[in-house]
Amino acid sequence: MTRRRVAVTGLGLVSPYGGDPGDFFDRLLAGESAIRFLRTDDVPRPLAMPFVSCAGFSADAVLGRALAGTLDRFAQLGLAAAFAAWDDAGFPRQAAGLDRESWGVAWGTALGGTLAYEKGYRDLWQRGRERLSPLSLILGLNNAANAHISIQLGLGGVSMTHTVACASSAIAIGEAFRRVRSGEAPVMVSGGSDAPQAYAVARAWESLRVLASGDEDEAPQCCRPFSVDRSGLVLGEGGAALVLEDWNHAVARGARIHGEMVGYGTSCDHSHLVRPDAAGQARALAAALADAGLAPGDIDYVNAHGTATPEGDPVEVAALRAAFGDRAARLPVSATKSLHGHQLGAAGAVEAIVTVLALCEQALPPTAHLADLDPDCAGVDHVLAARRGQTLRAALSNSFAFGGSNAVLAFRAVA
Amino acid sequence: MRAIMDSLTIIREFLESRLEVAPERVLPEAKLDDLDVDSLRLAEIMFEFEERFNLTLHRNLKSPRTVGELVVLMDRLRSEQG
Repeated sequence: MTRRRVAVTGLGLVSPYGGDPGDFFDRLLAGESAIRFLRTDDVPRPLAMPFVSCAGFSADAVLGRALAGTLDRFAQLGLAAAFAAWDDAGFPRQAAGLDRESWGVAWGTALGGTLAYEKGYRDLWQRGRERLSPLSLILGLNNAANAHISIQLGLGGVSMTHTVACASSAIAIGEAFRRVRSGEAPVMVSGGSDAPQAYAVARAWESLRVLASGDEDEAPQCCRPFSVDRSGLVLGEGGAALVLEDWNHAVARGARIHGEMVGYGTSCDHSHLVRPDAAGQARALAAALADAGLAPGDIDYVNAHGTATPEGDPVEVAALRAAFGDRAARLPVSATKSLHGHQLGAAGAVEAIVTVLALCEQALPPTAHLADLDPDCAGVDHVLAARRGQTLRAALSNSFAFGGSNAVLAFRAVA
Repeated sequence: MRAIMDSLTIIREFLESRLEVAPERVLPEAKLDDLDVDSLRLAEIMFEFEERFNLTLHRNLKSPRTVGELVVLMDRLRSEQG
């Protein structure tokens, strides 16, 4: 089977910093944390925790009130990110007269329409209502984001949602990549979105004791991957999308190419639901390198999964050491969740964009707040401050999910 | 006591707030299709009436095609059940 080259021609974000990917990347380089302290008015006990919100995002303004009103928050974030990526790729949104019947969508979300169902439960059980709005079901569909993207952009090919916890959108991007590379689809929109500010979801994460602690003053610095005093991750909402396109198709229409996607590796730890396994993660790393036809020495940056949980970080570094061997000690690695938080099902797409932009800008964003490296996380070249003027040829983005599902994406800089 | 709102006004307010349809377009002879009222939106409007007036709409109601037919239907149900 002939393998087509895959160009990244569109990047789109709804992020806590706003929607401009260049500005988003600059803020990461500057070490500007988007983490703030969230206090809700929930009953019986308000949520009070470090969190990342896209406070400046207005779905009504971006999507129009009529459309926004039929989407749950995660789908609003997703559709807005997809629109931004589509515009960035230079495609018209209107499909009239154009043949997009084989173009598709692969989307990732861990929680889907959880907020919509949570509102329904509150209405029924807390407010004593006896019936729900007919929109409730539509809002709660986990495949609402990919469906709306297909409808709005007139894409008639595959339209799927991947729900694989924190690897959801990395896997969505990988599956989209395979469809473009095989020639099945000339263009795929891929990415992910999540809105984890659902009361029960946040409470469930709290109970697992993996959320970073911090008060209003401490919140911006509370997520410290690889640090000896790390205390966990910070939940965040967001949406991120990439347009993947057949290289020749992109060149023929004169598209700007941000980078080349060259590989995708997946594996399952097959050992434990929440205890990560270095051997499993190393298999995904090796699979991505092999898929890309790259050697460990070809990789100049890894955007780590790096959630800052006590258990997860040393395992990821051990996996990198296993997969990269002698190269590991000189392998630049950073965990940008220290700044933008953990967007769950959208995290893989957010960090894929960070990885592509690192290659575009030839610059590395840091792991913030890493003053005191945990000796168990040593053995790679931790990026402690922004590095500009680098020579970056290829880079990986790691996403390692609860359930033991691992996904690694490989990108190459455009010469 | 708050005046009881007529059905046409309720429909106009709903369409303006949800679909940004100008009230002057919501005339009795206007076709619901032309106002972007699909089956889902129609279900929402009917739900609005159910909630406001504690009505129960039968599932096999004949779907109205115009604003006028919707007003007649809602007025009839409000009169029967109100």
